[in-house]
Amino acid sequence: MQPNKLLKPGLYSAASHDQAGAIVRLKGGRCRCGYVFFPMQTYGCERCGSHGDALTPCELSAKGTLLAEATVHLHADKNRPAPFTIVKVALDDGPVIRTLLAEDSAPVAPGQRVSGRLAAIGQNESGETVLDLRFSIAS
Amino acid sequence: MTRSLNELRPVYVVGIGWHRYQNPSETPYVELGLTAIRAALADARIEWPAVESTYVATALLGMASGRPMLRHLGATGAPLMHVENASASGSTAFRHACIEVASGISDVALAIGVDKRNPVRRPDTGIGNLAEDAIVPFTHFALLTNEYAVRHNASTEDIARVAVKNHRNGAKNPNAQRQQERTLDEVLGGKKVSGSLTSLQCTPIGEGAAAVIVASEDGIRRLGIDAGRAIRTTASVGRSERVYPPGAGFDAALTKETADLALAQAKLTPKDLDIIELHDAFTVEELHYIESIGLCPEGHGVRMLKDGALDIGGQCAINPSGGLIAMGHPIGPTGIGQIGEIVMQLRGEAGPRQHGGARIGLAHMVGVGAVCYVHILQR
Ligand SMILES: [Zn+2]
Repeated sequence: MQPNKLLKPGLYSAASHDQAGAIVRLKGGRCRCGYVFFPMQTYGCERCGSHGDALTPCELSAKGTLLAEATVHLHADKNRPAPFTIVKVALDDGPVIRTLLAEDSAPVAPGQRVSGRLAAIGQNESGETVLDLRFSIAS
Repeated sequence: MTRSLNELRPVYVVGIGWHRYQNPSETPYVELGLTAIRAALADARIEWPAVESTYVATALLGMASGRPMLRHLGATGAPLMHVENASASGSTAFRHACIEVASGISDVALAIGVDKRNPVRRPDTGIGNLAEDAIVPFTHFALLTNEYAVRHNASTEDIARVAVKNHRNGAKNPNAQRQQERTLDEVLGGKKVSGSLTSLQCTPIGEGAAAVIVASEDGIRRLGIDAGRAIRTTASVGRSERVYPPGAGFDAALTKETADLALAQAKLTPKDLDIIELHDAFTVEELHYIESIGLCPEGHGVRMLKDGALDIGGQCAINPSGGLIAMGHPIGPTGIGQIGEIVMQLRGEAGPRQHGGARIGLAHMVGVGAVCYVHILQR
């Protein structure tokens, strides 16, 4: 049995690596000025411009409130066949993110509570199951 | 001490010209651009050597594309600058042409926008993202549409009426890419794109060119230009995105900030505006931006639209050209074409789409949500 592989390990980490549907933590950052952002970067704070030691990594919970959803019917990129649904989520920890709704999620509407999980999206060449972040209605 | 444009010497638009915006074709960009420039020169009744400086707006053509075009007007050696600022490239070029003339460095400057549809290359910042490859502009605006509809209890039909109005205006504009009236059923029944957006609610990216010539009073006198057809630029403001509260619509917030500064510069209120040409690449934007500019309180845009207040002949004609939805959005030309449309309207030369008695017009463009330009023109 091959281990699971995260598609974007720079953006999130799994609480448990052995199963699809694992709880996920987002890799954000916090500035000395109090600004919380996602994803973590060391270039500088968008709000105050501080850089270097002022910016530190911080884990963000993948829970939040849905701001908007849009099901995409037409998308030129063949690696991302339509339809799929994009959601805009205000994370409880501050930042607003835009990401994909889980394919098996019930329909969503603004105002609903949503949460992110790692979902199996396929296998890579080494036979590992690839996991990526997907949101759905909070359980 | 800093100054705004209207504290410098007055600057006037004296010539306007287009190559029709159209579906992608084999026509070389050089031909598109030269057609617009020659039309603007003819409109101003001046010759090419009178132009002391040129600003070329393009986003999709490639490096320094102005030179191989301008040489065919007779190479005068006058300075030339290329401007790329996404959708606002043309607005940015116009602002800098105005600044150059207002400062006294030149008496006559040209802003020309020309583009053909080409793949967009996005810069790699080195910062990862969750799903940006899945979010193209129409999906960004589909998300905003969903938010607007829920927050203001607006229906899909309400928002789609923007497209009906703008197609109706575009049908009367010989420079427009889309020149066909559309019913609400046609707009709603079209191809589904993203969220509730259908293809007739989205701008068609095509090709085309627009040119405007700006001049000082000295230039107008020296060249014998008809001062009665000259339209003054009374405000020019450029801004870029800041950090707004989480969840705030940055496109609308940036527009509000920019429009407020422009209105203050021209000492006007939103009620004074007869015409607005704004960035309606997607229907919901028009509602967002008329509210941001201050024409009505937030969420009241639909009511104005339904009452006909935004029509030609209404309280304030929004996008009499047809806007980006019907006139088209070739990128480089768009912001310059807006200026041309407003000038035509303020001169009273807009023919079947003339907004009666128009004296004051505002042009607004955003570029990937990150930059915003607002100009005010007055007769
Ligand atoms: Zn900071």
